Amino acid sequence: MRRLIHFVREAVANIRLNRTTTIIAVATTAFTLACFGVFLLLYLNLRAVATSLQGDFKVVVYVKDGLPPSGVSELQGLLKADPGVQALVYVSKEQALADFRAQFPDESHLLQGLGENPLPASFIVTLAPSHRSPDSVRRAAERFKSEPGADQVQYSRDWIDNLATVVGYLELAAVGIGTVLSAASVTIIASTIRLTLYARRDEIEIMRLIGATGGFIKIPYLIEGTMLGAMGSAVSLVMLKGGFELFSARLGMPGRFLGIDSGVHFFSGQVAVLIMGAGLLLGFIGSAVSVLDLGRAKP
Amino acid sequence: MIQIFHVTKHYDRRPALTDINLQIEKGEFVLLMGPSGAGKTTLLKLLYCATSLDEGQILIQGRNVARLKSSDVPYLRRTMGVVFQDFKLLSKKSVYENVALPLLVQGLPTFETRRKVMEALKAVGVEHRKESRPTMLSAGEQQRVCIARSIVNSPIILLADEPTGNMDASLAREIVDLFKTINARGTTVLVATHNRQVIEQVGRRVITLDQGKVVSDEGRGL
Ligand SMILES: Nc1ncnc2c1ncn2[C@@H]1O[C@H](COP(=O)(O)OP(=O)(O)O)[C@@H](O)[C@H]1O
Ligand SMILES: [Mg+2]
Repeated sequence: MRRLIHFVREAVANIRLNRTTTIIAVATTAFTLACFGVFLLLYLNLRAVATSLQGDFKVVVYVKDGLPPSGVSELQGLLKADPGVQALVYVSKEQALADFRAQFPDESHLLQGLGENPLPASFIVTLAPSHRSPDSVRRAAERFKSEPGADQVQYSRDWIDNLATVVGYLELAAVGIGTVLSAASVTIIASTIRLTLYARRDEIEIMRLIGATGGFIKIPYLIEGTMLGAMGSAVSLVMLKGGFELFSARLGMPGRFLGIDSGVHFFSGQVAVLIMGAGLLLGFIGSAVSVLDLGRAKP
Repeated sequence: MIQIFHVTKHYDRRPALTDINLQIEKGEFVLLMGPSGAGKTTLLKLLYCATSLDEGQILIQGRNVARLKSSDVPYLRRTMGVVFQDFKLLSKKSVYENVALPLLVQGLPTFETRRKVMEALKAVGVEHRKESRPTMLSAGEQQRVCIARSIVNSPIILLADEPTGNMDASLAREIVDLFKTINARGTTVLVATHNRQVIEQVGRRVITLDQGKVVSDEGRGL
């Protein structure tokens, strides 16, 4: 217990000793994590949007005009039996017309004069989650089209897939940028600790001479590095939160984004804790690197 | 207790110690004499592993010091008390904290630490300065703090390098008496000095070094 107090006190004393380098190290770590955080925010939000769009995605199977009710229910049975189908809604000709009128009240004159209702009946198919990849969708559409009684099959999801691709690239970029920036902050923290070690070399020597083990000597510096990392990540979270509030206020978009209800969100508590953890880890690694050769007690 | 066989030590090819052979038994009080530059400090440094030797062997309690693993060195040092010629006190810590340091690194409980530290400070007569920084003390007082730190841990071996170098005659006498008391409790004591008064007061074995060689070894086993 006394040793623990000693370690923490030493670490705090070291941080006070090198105020300037400490500030630089914290600022660099904060900046690093903030850059990464912006990316992460972008990525997480786009991914949420992409996922929700993919979930919304529907395939429309038009029924051949003039198909008798028995044919319609046969087609319904066949579609229901398809493994790619999660849910199925039948839209009759009358329903389609009513929908059209409701959606485009100004255009309803277009249908007048055609006499008979020109809109076909259709099935609106929600695909099972396992069948939402671009390939499966194409195959499912072909299957539906070959069913007796089915006419055209319609779906449009190119841009959804493009979004998914972008999200994939973002993921890669996030990993790359994260690695480079992490290495940078580890380096900065390591050199900060090295400065402390240099300033304290006489004291370290004395500690050794009176029988302190390498571990005893190292621990305060490991704590110092970890504290720098923690401070860096705390500052970066504050910066990110501030930036995020500014950004979302400017765009005035609480709630809707791309017409999706999910809206734009800040990190969940979990992700924030993860970022803190990452900062701690970076600080720990940085200091561990610089105290490596502090173990030897012999000249 | 301490066995030194054919030990030779060079600093950049200049010999500091040549072919030293010494046996020091448990409980002995040995004075190490010799002019400045004779190699006294170097010999003591070899004993607490602060420098490496070129040839020969040193056994302390039967253990070969030169072959000691780096991670075992701290544990050897914990069995020893060392009074450094240049004190080696931590300037940012109080006198009390300095003396408590050898106990702190071993994780002794607070209660016992307080008792031992106060005892050591009283023995050297600096307990009234326990809150001061070492830099606020005179050289003689700093030396006494260093002595307190060397005995706080009840060491098996006490090594002292010119421990009375900054004291007047009466204070030096008290310090030598303190060493004699510690020695009487069973600690092996090795003191490097060139103070005639100390030699007369101790009246025990005196080893004289000159230019890195043992030139005399008198009063052994007295
Ligand atoms: N760290 C060192 N580097 C180079 N030479 C040294 C070093 N320490 C001591 N010496 C030399 O070794 C010799 C013995 O020194 P030392 O052991 O300090 O003698 P003493 O303590 O008897 O005065 C001297 O000639 C000294 O100059
Ligand atoms: Mg000397």
